[in-house]
Amino acid sequence: MTREESTKSTVVSAETNTFARIVFILAFGCVAGAVSSLASIGFITVIDWLNDVFLVSPRSRMIAGDSPWVVVATILVPAIGGLLVGVIVLFIADKRPHGPPDIIRAVQGFGGDVPPRSGVLTAVASIVGIGCGASVGQYGPLAHMGATIGAFIARFSGSGRPMGTVGVGCGVAAAISTVFNAPIAGIVFAHEVILRHYSLRAFAPVTVASTVGFIFANVVFKRNPLFRIEDVRVLYAPEFLGFVVVGIAGALVAVLFMRSILLCGQLAKRINIAQYLKPMFAGACIGIVAIWIPDILGIGREALRFAIIEDAFTASELAVTLIAKIAATALCIGFGFAGGVFSPALLIGILFGALVGTGLESAGIEAHSDLSIYAICGMAAVTSPVIGAPLTAIIIVFELTRNYGLTTAVMVSVVFSNVVGYRVFGRSLFDVQLKARGFDLSFGRDKVVLDHRTIENYITQDFTQLAVGDSLLSGKNKLLAESNTEAYVLSEQHEYVGTITLTQLLQLEQTNQSLEQVVEQFARQEALVFTHSTTIWAAMDTMEDFVGESIPVVISDTDSTLVGVVFEASVVKAYLDTTKKIRAEEHGMG
Amino acid sequence: MMRRLFILFLSFTQTLFATGFAHAGESLTIVSWGGPYATSQQQAYFTPFAKETGIAIDLREYQGGIKEIENQVGAAKVEWGVVDMIFADNISACEKGLLEPIDEKVLYPAPDGTPAGEDFIAGSLTACGVSHNIASVVLAYRRDAFPGEKPSHIKDLFDLEKFPGKRALQRNPAANLEWALLSYGVPREDLYNLLSTERGLKLAFSRLDSIRDQIVWWDEVDEPVKLLNSGAAAIASGFNGRFFSSMVEDKELINIIWDGQLYSYSTWGIPKGSAQRDQAIAFIRFATETWHMAELAAYIAYGPTRASAAKLVGTHYETGINMQPHLPNNPPNFQGAIEKDYEWYAKTGDRLTERFNYWLSQQN
Repeated sequence: MTREESTKSTVVSAETNTFARIVFILAFGCVAGAVSSLASIGFITVIDWLNDVFLVSPRSRMIAGDSPWVVVATILVPAIGGLLVGVIVLFIADKRPHGPPDIIRAVQGFGGDVPPRSGVLTAVASIVGIGCGASVGQYGPLAHMGATIGAFIARFSGSGRPMGTVGVGCGVAAAISTVFNAPIAGIVFAHEVILRHYSLRAFAPVTVASTVGFIFANVVFKRNPLFRIEDVRVLYAPEFLGFVVVGIAGALVAVLFMRSILLCGQLAKRINIAQYLKPMFAGACIGIVAIWIPDILGIGREALRFAIIEDAFTASELAVTLIAKIAATALCIGFGFAGGVFSPALLIGILFGALVGTGLESAGIEAHSDLSIYAICGMAAVTSPVIGAPLTAIIIVFELTRNYGLTTAVMVSVVFSNVVGYRVFGRSLFDVQLKARGFDLSFGRDKVVLDHRTIENYITQDFTQLAVGDSLLSGKNKLLAESNTEAYVLSEQHEYVGTITLTQLLQLEQTNQSLEQVVEQFARQEALVFTHSTTIWAAMDTMEDFVGESIPVVISDTDSTLVGVVFEASVVKAYLDTTKKIRAEEHGMG
Repeated sequence: MMRRLFILFLSFTQTLFATGFAHAGESLTIVSWGGPYATSQQQAYFTPFAKETGIAIDLREYQGGIKEIENQVGAAKVEWGVVDMIFADNISACEKGLLEPIDEKVLYPAPDGTPAGEDFIAGSLTACGVSHNIASVVLAYRRDAFPGEKPSHIKDLFDLEKFPGKRALQRNPAANLEWALLSYGVPREDLYNLLSTERGLKLAFSRLDSIRDQIVWWDEVDEPVKLLNSGAAAIASGFNGRFFSSMVEDKELINIIWDGQLYSYSTWGIPKGSAQRDQAIAFIRFATETWHMAELAAYIAYGPTRASAAKLVGTHYETGINMQPHLPNNPPNFQGAIEKDYEWYAKTGDRLTERFNYWLSQQN
């Protein structure tokens, strides 16, 4: 083969590769989207079926009529559902249901590895819980199931490149797109909440997956959207000030909701009953309340619909239902039901918005638009700070209503609510939960990744070692022989005692000190000592004022046995390696 | 083609042998709704059936419900052979064990050989019923009552300012509750879920309250047309077929609002223990055969439940009007259609009626 031919063939094979890569990426999106979408439809169908069988849905309750079984079932069903959930959860790793925070952790932490076992068990626990009327949402578990599927497919895609995070993105986008009939919101949600960066590498397959989800929901199965709203309009310009107020107050409602969830979680920890019995307790509690306020059971789709109808609720009914729903959801999630916060937030928000709208009415303010606009603004204002997704909230409203005026109003509320929510609480409930588990995303992904990788792989044994009883002279000779400038003095038990430098020894020699003295007397403990588990982030952080060549690494704070040393340059290399890897995963080719 | 001809030939010979001349001297009591509806059935089903089989038909009229069947079955003295029932009644009578089971295998396949089970609209064949047409409860209005803008949506029923005048509505919950809630902008698919809550029922009744003093209540299915014709009502609810028959007589008088049409099936059922069971089965076979089913739509504007029959619907027997645009399941008419939740009605009907009557008895 001539040189020219060889170049040509390289170009051809590169082109074939590129083509194969494009086909692979699109096919990957298709498969992940289709499987996740079908699973989502199955998930929702089973929940609806359970709701009908177990007298949770209003229709089944109406059909059952005045039978005393309705009251019995209202208490027993969520309680028994809770018991089942409690038992299922025992089989999940770390004995708690997983959810969006775990996906975020898997993706931001690295690699997007969502364990299939936790994924499947969480989905089953969620179906049982929501099917039995627990006051928790279905979208969080759906997103988690989508992520599990995406990660699973990525693992077996045989692409030879890391596809985990892309797979998770595809699965999540398809699930959201399917259940909301909102393909753009699916794409935006995957990027805004899960992936948290934008690159074509993820965007292309995620878009394909989201579209496939939409096709399954709309064309193949012809599912109805979550809700439809008639054409409503913002009638008066000053009302935009009202939407600002809805946004700010909505954020405070959201904060109250999130704090209640965290509080109930802490409360549950303090209560001295077996972990697996806790959801049963919560289920029985909400069952009793549901006898008077059935709207708190399950997703609350009917209440969601009523909230945008004028006269359906009185102001006091709105307030009572709002508070009952916050309490019921906080109790269910705090006490260990598997389920999300998104749908409860939608209901809480829409009730809150309707309350504001009704308030305007009773305050005698004539000049206001339809109640439904305030209700929807409230819904988006409460939901977006909870899930930390302002863009998704705006797009979902737009895709569900296709109403530009309404979306503009919602945009105002959402922006203000997110700013307030961020300042008062944090980026989202998910981020705050993650922070509590020691996974702080508030300084960005780099910090998280660097904070979860240790310097262990960069430890070297290439250093000069002296025993406590060695003389200064032998120390000097050893350093010169090994061409090092620092020597580490160790006790007989191999514990780190101190460091002695060549400069120090030369200075001692110049001042005519006897080099027969033992090194122990002159060795100085370094200000900076790492342990096995020192993270790259912590290493970089503490090294700022460090002058020297290498840093000793001991086993732990209490066990000063020396394991080796780390060179300053190695820490910098570790930092660069990690950030490079992040960039490659986010933006790299293929 | 040959296959089709052969099947057609087969089905004719089947008719001859199965129902054939063996039945001369026998009779079959068929219970239906009277009026132009029964007339159309007479033309399309009863007369040809009697002629072909020799079974004499004793036609009776009723106003729906399952009380009479309950009485006859309860007294073990079943006089009726075939009953034309509304779908919800058929389901609830079947569940109460008041009807004979009907195997779908006794039905003729479509002319192209498609088995009946696939040819009928999914869900229209049930354990004790063969649904044979789609009938809708719709709103109709006198054109001359509204010289300017005409009512076109369910919402307009409740808009007394824009569309003043009396409303003739059936004295029962069905359709009235659905329409009342629909007027709040509730999507069709959510209606029954919302009507299943106390809040939804309250909303619906409060909407009906708002037009209460303008309502003229009707009980018998032929009343709405009369009320419109006489000018006693400007808008009326009623079965679309009845309104159509009136429109055939006087083209200018009334118009149908298809928005919010509440469609359901008319369903053949056989009371349990009927001595005429065999004749009844023979009749149902005959009347649900594709050509016969399509034939009914030449007389009245009810849509066939078989895909093969829907394709064959042609013109009105007398006026030559194309019947397709007048059928409830004609695509443009069907856009805002509500599928009557028969299961919901079958289980909640009594309680709803009780509540409705209580509401009626209350003063505004």
